[in-house]
Amino acid sequence: MAQFLQQMVNGLSIGSVYALMAVGYSLVYSVMNFSNFAHGGVIMFGAYFGFFGITLLKLPFPAAFVLAFVGTAILAVLIERIAYKPLRERKAPFLYFIISAMGASIFLENIIIATIGPTFRTYPDVFGRSSIALGPVAVGRLDLIMFAVSAVCLTGLVLFVEKTRMGRAIQASAYNMKAAALMGVNTDRVVMIVFAIGGMLAGIAGVFFGMKYTVYPQIGNITTKSFVAAVFGGLGSLPGAVLGSILLGIIETLVAGYLSSQFRDLIAFVILIGVLVFRPTGIMGKTTEDKA
Amino acid sequence: MSDILQVRGLTKRFGGLAAVSEVDFSVREGGIAGLIGPNGAGKTTIFNLITGVYKVTAGAVTFEGKDITDTEPYKIADIGITRTFQNIRLFKNLTVFDNVLTACHASAGYGLFDSLVRTPRFRREEKVLRDKSIELLSILGLADRKDAIANGLPYGLQRRLEITRALALDPRLLLLDEPAAGMNPDETEQLMRLIADIRDRFKLSVLVIEHHMDLVMRLCEHIVVLNFGQKLADGTPDAIRGDKCVIEAYLGGGDE
Amino acid sequence: MSSYIEGIIMLSGINLIAVLGLSLLTGFAGLFSFGHAGFMAIGAYSAAICTTILKLPFAVGIAAGGATAAGASWLIGRATLKLKGDYFCIATLGFGEAIRLILDNFQGLGGARGWPGIPPSTTIWNILILDVIGVALLANLVRSRHGRNMIAVREEELAAQVAGIDVFKYKMLALVVSAAYAGVAGSLLAHYMTFIQPKMFSMVKSTELTIIVIFGGLGSISGSVLGAVVLTFLPELLRAVDKWRLVVYGLAVIGIMIGRPRGLMGGFELTPASLRRHFADRKEAKAAKAAQVAEDAELGKDGL
Repeated sequence: MAQFLQQMVNGLSIGSVYALMAVGYSLVYSVMNFSNFAHGGVIMFGAYFGFFGITLLKLPFPAAFVLAFVGTAILAVLIERIAYKPLRERKAPFLYFIISAMGASIFLENIIIATIGPTFRTYPDVFGRSSIALGPVAVGRLDLIMFAVSAVCLTGLVLFVEKTRMGRAIQASAYNMKAAALMGVNTDRVVMIVFAIGGMLAGIAGVFFGMKYTVYPQIGNITTKSFVAAVFGGLGSLPGAVLGSILLGIIETLVAGYLSSQFRDLIAFVILIGVLVFRPTGIMGKTTEDKA
Repeated sequence: MSDILQVRGLTKRFGGLAAVSEVDFSVREGGIAGLIGPNGAGKTTIFNLITGVYKVTAGAVTFEGKDITDTEPYKIADIGITRTFQNIRLFKNLTVFDNVLTACHASAGYGLFDSLVRTPRFRREEKVLRDKSIELLSILGLADRKDAIANGLPYGLQRRLEITRALALDPRLLLLDEPAAGMNPDETEQLMRLIADIRDRFKLSVLVIEHHMDLVMRLCEHIVVLNFGQKLADGTPDAIRGDKCVIEAYLGGGDE
Repeated sequence: MSSYIEGIIMLSGINLIAVLGLSLLTGFAGLFSFGHAGFMAIGAYSAAICTTILKLPFAVGIAAGGATAAGASWLIGRATLKLKGDYFCIATLGFGEAIRLILDNFQGLGGARGWPGIPPSTTIWNILILDVIGVALLANLVRSRHGRNMIAVREEELAAQVAGIDVFKYKMLALVVSAAYAGVAGSLLAHYMTFIQPKMFSMVKSTELTIIVIFGGLGSISGSVLGAVVLTFLPELLRAVDKWRLVVYGLAVIGIMIGRPRGLMGGFELTPASLRRHFADRKEAKAAKAAQVAEDAELGKDGL
């Protein structure tokens, strides 16, 4: 039982970081209606920003953390301006967005390989290795901080989307971009804000992944899990993305703990295919009828 | 003359909202019928229900005596019904000729193997399709534009091409969704003659959604008036012109 | 011919077959796949099983590679082709990665370390012959009612349906044919390298194939051929600046999407007839322009 609880806690912590990625991805999807495959590149940059903030600039962790997510927010907005905005203005089909995103993703990964090199780098030990006992369960400091920060970010995002004017504009644009524009919503700004938020959350996730594992140019590949989580929860639904991510994190940890760690990555795709076959709209997704 | 299409108790709800409720009407074989009503009255929804684009909530659609309710859209064409769209949907990047040729596909029966290795059967049947496409384009007056890209045609000709494409499937019932939208009076006049001409030449029946009252009144032998998803009236143009309900709700509203 | 050049020609010939398949799916049927490397993997491993374990002839291995990939694609298609665009895309991505991870963990076929000792049966001749057959079959297919129906689905799904085209069926046909091509390419690759490893069939490979198709131009077979050859040779010629290669690649992809979304050839086919037409058009345009200039001059005179 103690072992099971332990796995659950670990799963919850990693799942909450998946949620940071998946929410950013899902947010962009809901407004722009395409899969932003450059999201992984932004996450990777976040991991590097944080790493170099601490090692090169000798910043204290909180400052490096802020540097990372501000940097990725700017990066995400830049990518949108350069790679997507011209397509948006031309009303190009979603295919072109995806391809452009793929180009951006290849560029981001390889510019790092070309300049910094493909080596794996390990974050300095910021929080210490000791763990905190919560009853029968021992929680690593990093896990606890990851969970807490993610929870705060996600709550903040929900409040932002539900309570502010901009948040409602985002909801309206997600529902129908054209109609929102007609009602006086500045959709160009909405898109910018959405990418900034997505980029920020990606940066935070990047720093955490870097600390949990290591930093390397392909770390962005981990976003395939956020696609899975988003589909699992229901594509385009924010609560769905969170729920899907946390479930995915828990299932992965349980599989790694009880079956084999080799199956940990496989299970995500088994879930993906299962969901697509049996319930393509995911847990929270709604079925809609197209208007002809 | 018998009815080619019958619609009975047709109802469609989106969520709680009834877009169409309990609508009955029929189209006579060889006739031209009109479907009119203000925006949002449910006209296009009825087309979408007949052609299987939407699932019917309640009611039935009968074509030539057979129940065709909720048949998949691609089978509707085989059954003998084709349509055009309010916001023209052509195969935009293809030539005028290829638009029509593609729609002729049902007139050929060669299989995948015939395609891959170009068997004599393939050559024979392809020739039939090409001849048929050219013939249709000549009848509709588009032959000299056959190599133009569909997207680059003037608006009126795009509408005409969409009708040509529909005819390529040899329909017995043609559904036209606002064919005169965005046309000037001259073009509208031409279109009206074209529709009547098509009906006679191809021996088919027509159901048309239209806003131009003038066109509907002169073209149609039978008119169905919708308002808020319900049928308001049903009859000959003269009867409709004199119908009090219609005058109040629609014609008299002054928004035509 | 030096064996180095021959090697590159063989690789581009193998790539070409996979690219042709993807060209049908993406360029003609308008579907986007991130999992084609997965179909190549299935083809490669099935063919290798046939030739090394079952000791069957190479030709049987190639056929089996194509057939198993086609079969797998049929299963995927049944589950996902009815879903909207992005779902299919994500499903293929999940499928491709899943195949790779399964092979990684399947020790019977070498696992992540790979599978050496496959006979070197692939020759430059059987690649070239299959290339020619592949191009011919595809060219025939897209100029038949089956191909036209796929194009119609790409252009305007709803209109295609109303025109009596079973959208699901034609998407499936495009997917299955394209997976068969990928399977054949995988078989050839396995017997060219004589060593296969799941890593060779990662998402990077799928992306590379897609980029070749885009670069060549959606909806153009000659574009795909050109793309496969150029984009296999180019990296080899650019060995010196190897690490910047993919940086430029990424930027080029964005550039093409923004500036020349139809790719190198975009819908235009390189055939004697099309060339004649092209030059005739240009002559005509020149003549028209000359006439216009003359007319303008005339008008200008009147204006004075």
